[in-house]
Amino acid sequence: MAEAELLTEQPHKVPVPGWLLVLCRWLAVFGGLVLMAVMLMTVASVVKRGVFGAPIPGDYEMVELGSAVLIACFLPWCQITGGNVLVDFFTMKAGPRFNHLLEAMGDLIYLLIGVLILWRMWHGVAELHGYAEQSMVLRLPIWISAALMLPAFAVLVVTTFFTMIGHLKEARA
Amino acid sequence: MTGIAAGLTGFAVLLGLMAQRVPIAVAMLATGISGYWLMNGTLPLLAYLKTNTFYQFSTYSLSVIPLFVLMGEFATHAGMSRALYRAAAAFLGHRRGGLAMATIGGSAAFGAICGSSLATAATMGQVALPEMRRYGYSGALSTGSVAAGGTLGILIPPSVILVLYALMTELSIGDMFVAAMVPGILAALGYMLAIAWFVRRHPEAGPAAERATTSEKLTAIRETWSIALIFLLVIVGMYRGWFTPTEAAAIGAFGTFVLAVLHGGLRMKGLVECLQGTARTTAMIFLIMLGAEMFNAFLSATQAPMLAAQMIVESGLSPMLILLAILLLYLAMGCVMDSMSMLLLTIPIFYPIIAGLDFGMSREDTLIWFGILAVVVVEVGLITPPVGMNVFVINGMARDVPMVESFRGVMPFLLSDFIRIALLIAVPWISLFLVRLLG
Repeated sequence: MAEAELLTEQPHKVPVPGWLLVLCRWLAVFGGLVLMAVMLMTVASVVKRGVFGAPIPGDYEMVELGSAVLIACFLPWCQITGGNVLVDFFTMKAGPRFNHLLEAMGDLIYLLIGVLILWRMWHGVAELHGYAEQSMVLRLPIWISAALMLPAFAVLVVTTFFTMIGHLKEARA
Repeated sequence: MTGIAAGLTGFAVLLGLMAQRVPIAVAMLATGISGYWLMNGTLPLLAYLKTNTFYQFSTYSLSVIPLFVLMGEFATHAGMSRALYRAAAAFLGHRRGGLAMATIGGSAAFGAICGSSLATAATMGQVALPEMRRYGYSGALSTGSVAAGGTLGILIPPSVILVLYALMTELSIGDMFVAAMVPGILAALGYMLAIAWFVRRHPEAGPAAERATTSEKLTAIRETWSIALIFLLVIVGMYRGWFTPTEAAAIGAFGTFVLAVLHGGLRMKGLVECLQGTARTTAMIFLIMLGAEMFNAFLSATQAPMLAAQMIVESGLSPMLILLAILLLYLAMGCVMDSMSMLLLTIPIFYPIIAGLDFGMSREDTLIWFGILAVVVVEVGLITPPVGMNVFVINGMARDVPMVESFRGVMPFLLSDFIRIALLIAVPWISLFLVRLLG
């Protein structure tokens, strides 16, 4: 965790349910494995291009479709570990309880935005599905990649809710 | 409401939210979404939100970012900082202040495989701080040199911030990386001069260590050549067009992964940590990018950036004056705000202005030069009070050194930074000649 401590400007620690932390962690690791797969596929494609003069067919679009999924999987982990940078300067002296209250407000805004995006993306996926849009080379249905983002965003919404509750608890403590 | 007024109101709301601990990305999203809604109406907003996240996250050119972050994570876990520091110390350690100079050299080399300042400062700190303290270096000099050395991470390519700048201004990432090489080396040399000057005045702050033998020097070189190879493959391959930036980043990440497994003892547990660290940093960057995209979609609906750029370009003010004003603004903002979000937020606004000004160079040259200046200036924000993230991180690692002393230790490096910035402004050629030479 030493690594994780370094990225934010003094986030306030917040209690969250253990199962949620585990869920976010493994979602992040899953996304990381997708990233490793993207990395290995890209290296293999470059090598194949160098040796045989032709890359793996559809390598770019596999990177694209993979990227959307893996980044979505990363979002809840960032939220639960307080990884989203904020400006600490103006409220440094305000005391921890007040700061927890402010951060609960921030989480509420994030929660509302998350719900809005999740709702709209649901319709977006339905649209992509309806148009049966496909990738250029491999003819992969694009909607599947977008649909895989939905569960990750659902976890993000749940996570934001619990970090908000956690901040409120700390503010009242 | 006129476009300019709407844009300014948006900015005021954004800054207001940010000041109240709303995460920067969330503040941008909130302001952007509400502004877009007010400017364009409900239905266009709802339609826009259906797919913009998906398309933003699945853009091929952006996939370079998680791969470079992953490369940095592997580099951090590969024990490379130790090898690099030892190599630099073998050649510099016998000088007065030499171990601090080795910290700078090691950080510069580590920055060549890691694109993050904090990661560079933190990993180098773990190796260099105990060594410097062992030889009786003062707290100010040891923490100051590690914090300053860390800032080399975002200037020396590959660097995530340079990638973002190139993507936003539609410049070639390879060009941007090559342009940053000479300023990066200048920065390292400038820091070493600052150390030499500091220990001349305070000889007790950095006593000389014993001289390394030739065989020790050879061992040190043998341990670091693989790192140089990865760096060259990534930078040259990208610049020469052998592969795309994403492919270069994948190759770099794969290379550091292999090194981490072979030399750094990376196993399952370490791999999971690397992936988690990558997840956190990548998510932070992409959420900021999503927010910046939303906010800029709102701003372009107000036409404020275009109008402002037009006004400023036609105002007849000297281009240099406008450039200095922008850089001063960055310096001030950099003192309280995260550098990446700052650039993502402001570059779309400032770059049309800069591109419209006449500095006696082509548009592309002007933008490359401005990009280097912007990155150098925000990097200074990492070591200036009151926020100075690098200084906080390093000071946290050396518990016996008071914060004030760490900030005092950073002063000679800041001085060197300001001289270098003046030089880079006065002589754009420093940033451009390598791009021309190799192009």
